[in-house]
Amino acid sequence: MIDGYKRLMNLEEPPPPKKAKGFFTDTSLCIGCKACEVACKQWNQLPADGFAITGNSYDNTGHLGATTWRHVQFIEQAKANGSRQEQRWLMMSDVCKHCANAACLEACPTGALVRTEFDTVYVQQDICNGCGFCVPACPFGVIDRAPKESTFEVGTAHKCTLCYDRLKDDMTPACAKSCPTASIQFGDVEELQQRARQRLGELKARGESTARLYGMPEGHEAAEVGPLHAFFLLLDKPKAYNLPEVPRLPRKTMAERYGWSAAVGLGFAMVAALVFRGGRQ
Amino acid sequence: MTGGNFSPPRGNSPPPLAGEGPGLPAHASGASAPSERLRRSGGGTQGYYDYPVVRRPVWTWEVPAYFWLGGLGAGAFVTASLAQTFGSADDRRIAADGFYVAAAALLPCAPLLIGDLGRPDRFHHMLRIFKPLSPMNLGAWTLTGLTPLAFARGASHAADTGLLHGPLRAIAQLVPRRLTEVLGSFLSLTLAGYSGVLLGATNVPLWAKSKLLGGVFMASALSSGSAAVSLQAARRGAPEATLHRLATLESAASLGEMAILTGYLVQSGKAARPLTTGRFAPAFWLGAVFAGGLLPLLLHGVARRGHSRTVRSLSTAAAMCSMIGSLALRWSIFEAGKDSSEDQSASFDLSKA
Repeated sequence: MIDGYKRLMNLEEPPPPKKAKGFFTDTSLCIGCKACEVACKQWNQLPADGFAITGNSYDNTGHLGATTWRHVQFIEQAKANGSRQEQRWLMMSDVCKHCANAACLEACPTGALVRTEFDTVYVQQDICNGCGFCVPACPFGVIDRAPKESTFEVGTAHKCTLCYDRLKDDMTPACAKSCPTASIQFGDVEELQQRARQRLGELKARGESTARLYGMPEGHEAAEVGPLHAFFLLLDKPKAYNLPEVPRLPRKTMAERYGWSAAVGLGFAMVAALVFRGGRQ
Repeated sequence: MTGGNFSPPRGNSPPPLAGEGPGLPAHASGASAPSERLRRSGGGTQGYYDYPVVRRPVWTWEVPAYFWLGGLGAGAFVTASLAQTFGSADDRRIAADGFYVAAAALLPCAPLLIGDLGRPDRFHHMLRIFKPLSPMNLGAWTLTGLTPLAFARGASHAADTGLLHGPLRAIAQLVPRRLTEVLGSFLSLTLAGYSGVLLGATNVPLWAKSKLLGGVFMASALSSGSAAVSLQAARRGAPEATLHRLATLESAASLGEMAILTGYLVQSGKAARPLTTGRFAPAFWLGAVFAGGLLPLLLHGVARRGHSRTVRSLSTAAAMCSMIGSLALRWSIFEAGKDSSEDQSASFDLSKA
């Protein structure tokens, strides 16, 4: 009977799990060339987002979205040094974090968002019905729904797939492949984490005292969403990169929220029982 | 270039010229975070320019309309069912009209829910799995279960009162009344209670900061639902005693709603600004709080001392205020939440260590 059900529902056996894959984005190496943005758009056939000038440094992309799955930030900072002023530029290629506990995946009511055999988070385009719940659920503002009138996969949710199609063929994701400075490194998550710790040690030894890793299992950003499978080496506080200190996983507070709902409902039922009973005498 | 007190980016304003001194010393020290003021003055923010941390919800007017009607229908069903169990013969007869109200209010809910999807043709994908962890999935199943129950119980009431004739009447009388009421009440409370939890289960500061939004929407659903029942009762010329009992119930729900709403606003703190001071503030204060909460309480208070004709018109007015206020509450919190999603400093506050 179960076999019959599986045939009826067109259910396949999921592929056997493989080693977790991810990105280590080392922002200390980023030169802001945006090759990752372009390579991502080309491989995934994402349409252009228009040619607006934001006036915010060289960043005319603004943020990640339904048709932008890599986004290079240009952070201009200044500090006084006597009468002179020192400037520095931080660059960072932002991407979906492929959280171990993904808020988008938990929010998804259709099961369109799944965890792949590479432990990445993926939207099945033939299942998503565009309910839009994943959009505000993501604590990083990554996933977005394509407009109902657009040239690109209309009305469904989109984000970085970690080039799932390329991974299937043992290929490196397009952004990492195109990165000329190895700021974006692709590989097994465990190995990348080792590499990141080593790199942080090197930078600290060179005097980069504010360098830090973001998304490692031991970091407090992993408290709710778990380790990020696309994690970062940053040169300033996470906030400077618009990254939340502790990204929130909605599930953690859901029971309490339902509890308040239930308390109000039960209170009403009790009052109603008393009021109506009073009318029987 | 080795760490140090670099100041954050400075929005659209040009960087200070050399010799002008530090850009934003107080800000860079990290001691205080006057981001609101600086943002308004076009200066730097704590984060990356003034870009939001989270994405703006893509939902449109269908969602608050659905939450309102779904809550109203659910509240009416619960009120009617409780009257069947605990009420006098008059109460039972009068309140059973609540099943009609429930069916009528729930009818447009599914179209509204479907209309808001990016791919409405795939609504049924919501029902390909049962995943109560996702409030969206739970809500879709609850609505799918409750709508036919409300229609079935409404049909059996129509059969009892002689509105249905012939074979339809015979079929409607087969509906197990008590079972439908118990199951339907359970689903009604779920439908009334999940919507605020759904909004709360996001990273939008106005919706997520306080954990009471589910309770607020539940209370609003029950007050508007019981109001709809008493509106229908007043229209049908119910005995005064029944009207009084319904008014007491409505007032209790309104009092509860105002109490939990106060708690919600206090807990939300600064995150509530888009609601309490933004462009949706008039709808919230005048519509949701005054018309939806305070005015009905006042009208019911006056009605207690009035003559029978004024009682009827006062309770009709109170019920209409309560229902309109409930819509204003959902709409203002929903729309202000979209603005709240763009409040960078509120997002940082929500994700503080």
